[in-house]
Amino acid sequence: MVFRYKLEFVAGIAVLMFCIIFIYTSSTMTNAEFEGSDTIGSARIAEMTGNAEEEFQPFIWQWTPPSAEVESGLFALQAAIGGIMVGWVFGYWKGQMKRENGE
Amino acid sequence: MHIMEGFLPIQWAIFWWLLALPCLVFGIYRLKKVLEADRESLPLLGVTGGFIFILSSLKLPSVTGSCSHPTGTGLSAVCFGPWITTIICAIVLLFQSLFLAHGGFSVLGANLISMGVVGPVVGYLVYRALRYSRINMYFTVFLACFLADIFTYFTTSLELALAYPAEVGGVASSFLLFSGIFALTQVPLAVVEGIVLALVFKYIVHLKPDILLRLKIFPEEKIITARSES
Repeated sequence: MVFRYKLEFVAGIAVLMFCIIFIYTSSTMTNAEFEGSDTIGSARIAEMTGNAEEEFQPFIWQWTPPSAEVESGLFALQAAIGGIMVGWVFGYWKGQMKRENGE
Repeated sequence: MHIMEGFLPIQWAIFWWLLALPCLVFGIYRLKKVLEADRESLPLLGVTGGFIFILSSLKLPSVTGSCSHPTGTGLSAVCFGPWITTIICAIVLLFQSLFLAHGGFSVLGANLISMGVVGPVVGYLVYRALRYSRINMYFTVFLACFLADIFTYFTTSLELALAYPAEVGGVASSFLLFSGIFALTQVPLAVVEGIVLALVFKYIVHLKPDILLRLKIFPEEKIITARSES
């Protein structure tokens, strides 16, 4: 008999490893702030050009979320939209399969 | 992560927009063709697009002590090719520029080239090369997703390096510097993303193999073997 859940097993291990590495690095690296890599990249550009970061103004006006709370809420909304689409389709396929099998 | 609004000189912003627009137009044409041929590919597009929405909203910490997000574009590139993926990316990037101040309208072209064009093209080419080979189907999907993610960030680094060449060493040394920030952070995220999307592909193989066969994504024998194995 073949083990049916090989890929699930690998995925579980990978996610677990990812968490362990994160816990390890976040507790041992003293200067790690876990900010976005784009923030770091932008700071580096400011360094290279010799201009302050505030001098990089958007060319086209842009609405900025007033706080981190609002921003994380909108990010959650984006994930939720994706989740609804995925769940809806998997359910639709599952129903289709059941009907084809005459259940 | 993307290039932030205002951080790309205007001539480069326009240059990347000019490159991105034809890809977008061709994507719309391809999407119309695919949907005209088979309306049942729409749910599959929902799944692959849904995962781009989910994964590109997750900001994950990495070994470099900074955060970045996966792209999720590989699965869509495997199922529909890179150009349709460009359209989904355009929607996601527009959402993030409008509501999240991540990326922006002037840099949208550059971000679209990295996330929606180069990444998916690389993933798609790898998948095409391995499609009929003896390499495991799920491993092929993993590799395509992993490379689509990594190459997105190599492209971001290149875009920034071209705009900001270092005084010593020029574009190449600048590219190395930005790759160190963007691509290195991305490696563990891309590995996890690749495995998770390969798992998603397994569920598609089990629930809706006929759509994969109709779109000729993998040869029939591979799908039949994969289904009988579990």
